Amino acid sequence: MAAPVVSVRDLEVTFVGAGRPVPAVRGVSFEVAPGEVLGIVGESGSGKSVTSLALTGLLGPSARVSGQITLAGIDVTTADAETLRQMRGRDVGMVFQDPATTLNPVFPVGRQITEGQIAHGTLRREDAATRAEALLREVDVPDPGARITQFPHQFSGGMRQRAVIAMAMAGNPRLIIADEPTTALDVTVQAQVLSVLARRQRESGAAVILITHDLGVIAEVADRVAVMYAGRIVETGPVAEIFRSPRHPYTAALLRSLPRIDDDPERLTAIPGQPPHPGRLTPGCSFRPRCPVGHGRAICETEPPDRDGVACHFPGEAVAAPPAARPHAASTNTASPLLEVTDLRVEFPIRTGLLRRQTGSVRAVAGVSLSVRPGETLGLVGESGCGKTTTGRAIMGLIRPTAGSIRFEGREIAGLPRGAMRRLRRDMQYVFQDPYSSLNPIRTAGEIVAEPLRIHGLHAEMGGDAYVAGLFDRVGLPRAMMSRFPREFSGGQRQRIGIARALALQPKLLILDEPVAALDVSIQAQIVNLLKDLQRELGLAYIFIAHDLAVVHHISDRVAVMYLGRIVEESDKATLYARPLHPYTRSLLSAVPVPDPAARGGGRRIILEGDIPSPARPPSGCAFHPRCFRASPLCASTAPEFADHATVPSRMACHHPMEVAQ
Amino acid sequence: MNPTLRRLLAHRGALLGIAYIMLLAFTAAFAHLILPTDPLAQDLANTLDPPSPEHWFGTDELGRDLMTRAIYGARTSLVTALGAVAIAGAIGVPIGLVAGFFGGWRDAILMRIVDVLLALPGILFAMALIAVLGRSQAASLVAVGITGIPAFARITRAQVLSLRQRDFVTAVEAMGGSSAYTMFTTVLPNAWSPILVQVVILSSVAILLEAALSFLGVGIPPPTPSWGDMLRTGKGFLYEAPYYAVLPGLVLTLTILSLDTLGRTLARLIEDRQSAEDDA
Amino acid sequence: MTSYILRRLAQFIPVLLLASLGIWAMIYAVPGSPVGALVGENATPEQIAAITARLGLDQPLLAQYWRWLTAALQGDLGQSIQSREPVLDLIAKRIPATLQLGLAATLIGLLVGVPVAIASALKPNSLLDRILSAWSALALGVPTFWLGILLILLFAVHLHWLPSASAYIPFFTDPVRALANLALPALTLGLYISGIFSRFLRAALLGELLSDYVRTARSKGLRERDVIGRHVMRNAMLPFVTIVGLSLANFIGGTVITEAVFTYPGLGRLLIQAIGVRDYPLIQGCILFILAIYITINLLVDVLYAYIDPRIDYH
Repeated sequence: MAAPVVSVRDLEVTFVGAGRPVPAVRGVSFEVAPGEVLGIVGESGSGKSVTSLALTGLLGPSARVSGQITLAGIDVTTADAETLRQMRGRDVGMVFQDPATTLNPVFPVGRQITEGQIAHGTLRREDAATRAEALLREVDVPDPGARITQFPHQFSGGMRQRAVIAMAMAGNPRLIIADEPTTALDVTVQAQVLSVLARRQRESGAAVILITHDLGVIAEVADRVAVMYAGRIVETGPVAEIFRSPRHPYTAALLRSLPRIDDDPERLTAIPGQPPHPGRLTPGCSFRPRCPVGHGRAICETEPPDRDGVACHFPGEAVAAPPAARPHAASTNTASPLLEVTDLRVEFPIRTGLLRRQTGSVRAVAGVSLSVRPGETLGLVGESGCGKTTTGRAIMGLIRPTAGSIRFEGREIAGLPRGAMRRLRRDMQYVFQDPYSSLNPIRTAGEIVAEPLRIHGLHAEMGGDAYVAGLFDRVGLPRAMMSRFPREFSGGQRQRIGIARALALQPKLLILDEPVAALDVSIQAQIVNLLKDLQRELGLAYIFIAHDLAVVHHISDRVAVMYLGRIVEESDKATLYARPLHPYTRSLLSAVPVPDPAARGGGRRIILEGDIPSPARPPSGCAFHPRCFRASPLCASTAPEFADHATVPSRMACHHPMEVAQ
Repeated sequence: MNPTLRRLLAHRGALLGIAYIMLLAFTAAFAHLILPTDPLAQDLANTLDPPSPEHWFGTDELGRDLMTRAIYGARTSLVTALGAVAIAGAIGVPIGLVAGFFGGWRDAILMRIVDVLLALPGILFAMALIAVLGRSQAASLVAVGITGIPAFARITRAQVLSLRQRDFVTAVEAMGGSSAYTMFTTVLPNAWSPILVQVVILSSVAILLEAALSFLGVGIPPPTPSWGDMLRTGKGFLYEAPYYAVLPGLVLTLTILSLDTLGRTLARLIEDRQSAEDDA
Repeated sequence: MTSYILRRLAQFIPVLLLASLGIWAMIYAVPGSPVGALVGENATPEQIAAITARLGLDQPLLAQYWRWLTAALQGDLGQSIQSREPVLDLIAKRIPATLQLGLAATLIGLLVGVPVAIASALKPNSLLDRILSAWSALALGVPTFWLGILLILLFAVHLHWLPSASAYIPFFTDPVRALANLALPALTLGLYISGIFSRFLRAALLGELLSDYVRTARSKGLRERDVIGRHVMRNAMLPFVTIVGLSLANFIGGTVITEAVFTYPGLGRLLIQAIGVRDYPLIQGCILFILAIYITINLLVDVLYAYIDPRIDYH
């Protein structure tokens, strides 16, 4: 094997500040060979991003770094600032998470791409424009000549991230460090960016360290994987091997807790508890409090496990065997609908010019029809800007619909006056995405959960504090926590408070707006299981709004796919995932990275061209036609009807649906 | 104890500021009990005396004790400032609350009015008002108060607008809370911190503005002791009695610096707390 | 760009109208009759008749306002009660003095404030930063009229280097005497302005230093001075320009006070004198004029902002 591009021995990073020192990385060792893709996977606080910044010497002054890092022959921990500066851009390029903020908003993109090379003296100023254009062309940015003079805000998210990749590759570095490069992107755009990254990696022969929380992305792209937990690598090895037979109980549990589109267990196997804060680690093995293997074994409580190899006292005891797939019967729920939405439209005016005249409108929701029966879950899935959240908020009465009908238990509620709507709110409640923003920071958890009762004057009638305490039991929170404030809770616990609050009025329908999107993988499973339990016990109906097709697959009975304000396809879950009819559904499903390295490649992936158009300027005809691989001239002129398919029990809006294999 | 308060007291500058303001407020409030001298008592035999054990700050052109006048001046100054801040807050906060919460035409109209108040530098606005109202302590208080309205209105509005985006406010609407309920039980209680900081900062601005008006000869009319008027008169005796304007000015300056340090420290602590909450 | 400027201008129109309404209404709020307020107590019957006819004081209020406003827009701000001269002439005579003071002070403010802010922001919370921050707090917190008195005591009373009262000498007619007269007032106001500049520029720089693009710039291997000097500085200008715009009121207010301290013959002193003798037409004129300047500068700041920030769509 050739000499590694980067080699890390016993890396430790501790942040010192006003409080106690926080050990973020606690003895990490790994190597990356030329041309190799190493995936580092971990949840928040695992130390994966800190490791990547340590490699390039970009940690702030509060970080104390020890151990040895050799990158392209440079000893990073002892090198002076000038050596490190010259190393960055020349030997190592970096791609960061959020393309909206990694580029400087006030400089043209082209200039930012070549700036590093000019600083290194490897590019003459007069050649910069040509070079920037060539680099943008290599990452598939259309019309690169015009693009180099544009500013970041004129680029879409996916385009920006490609520009960042071009920038990282500009100096032909031997190592690319990509820190969550696709986390902020939609799934179809993620597929584009990952494929560009993979192609450029192959072409340049650079080594890549890919840091992510997404096991699917690792399975798609990486050669080797290192799993991090609480500042350590707990297990490392070839991707295929780790995914097939993980030896560390954390890896095994993580793989089991994932909802998947290729599997459908009744329940997810959640990891109890939450990832530890780096400043508050237990002695012995840090995973012990959550571990299914070590329970009660003395050595786990006293001895930290080995740093090299598998960091576990009992490796291999955990088994990854995914629970056997239990196919559900197709939804047989025939009760009359609880909620029926017909041709819902929501438009926001655009005002421009001197007199702020309305010159157009954003069609956030452009004719959505759906229905939900008691006790069932309708998954509403789509990428950003598709109008799924607006749909949910319009149903909830938080946004006034422009047109259309919303009937709840047969009663028209669209455009109902405030007072009448208020009474209706008892039957319909909303759970928000961001558990950090959805709880009033100055109220205790108990007060927050009791608030809907107080608003409706039902606190005493429903049973007062005892009833509220019962709600805490129901969502799995200790009653003792009722007097605490939101800031004292973790993300998952906050989401439980939000759910308890939504349950307080004993509603019939919950609108769940991305309720697990902000949570770590191991916590997601806990909340998803809780929601399923509650539905079974209380007979609740759910509208589950999400961008994550795997989570939607796991929790829904029926699924509706939205694109640019419209539902393009709707069916029961099994049918939709097995036999997608709309080309968009088909591409969306194929773009989801599956956490199974064996499923990699095989030509099953359809990578859509281009970006999601703005809802302010939707394309003519079928809104999907500019990106569609089956589009015909008809699609550009005529919008397809949303109607039943001839043979498959689905409704969809497409002139040229996918052929159905019988 | 409240953690923000504890950290405030751990900050040396802020602690000094609080100590100074409390000392000043105490002596000003009980000046008639503490000080044997009358701020208006003239002693024409001892005019423009330099500082001495009998007259720590010296005497003025009418033989009045300058330290006594400086302390009674603090009373004038603090009362005017507090009254002005009360007026500004009582009008500005509701304006910002309604404008930010309801938006639309209410916002447009209210903020246009606020813009008019901002269309002139505060001191000129106050001068113009006094030109109409006539020169008196009440006029100064009202004029300074009115110039403070835009600051409160804007801070409150900005805070309300950002809270309005937060899901917990939407959550109250989703629960069926009325506008009044949402505004008074959810939005306003969460908006207090920056408003409180504004109270401290605006107190220092108000003291400065009142002193400036008196210095320009349009503020509080003599013989009521006021810092600005002492500086104005003292400036006429720079050659004969250089300490005359210097020492009362020092008292004024320390007051403003104390409040400014206190306000900025508070603002930083609140910012830290909020970003800690966001990161949590 | 033109349309953007027009749009910003249009937003100022209601403010201008309302403010001018307030200024016009001043004389009606003054105790006594508006005619008395406009021509003074010792006016002859002819003067009263003239002003009544000129302003149409027998006509409906709205018509009177319209007449006053259109006259003002054409430069007719009425006549001073004291000197019987046209108000506009009185104001025009004072403009160069105030302008010279304002420019000199702003120059001092920039020369002191900007380096202080940069030095502070490069090493936040260091000893240097704390010293410089304390300096900014002093520059902002020490009242200009007290600082002015201290400077006079030191440089005029004690050292006899500079005059205690400052006359207006145009810089280009006699630079030495102009500077001698300008030094103290410009320093007084300039130090205050430097406090505004350094405090807010430091805050803007520190805010920008936390941004992701700074890390990106470093990851490309840029020199730290380019990271700060190009990337951070350019972005910090955005919040900074806004703050400077908002602080303009303080600048102008500061001029009025500084002119009073040094008995400097500028616009501010004209206004104070006018208030002292209740010369209402002159008061109205001065305030209207300052209003116009203030709004003009605000507009310039807006345009500058749009020029710096490519994200602002001014089409």
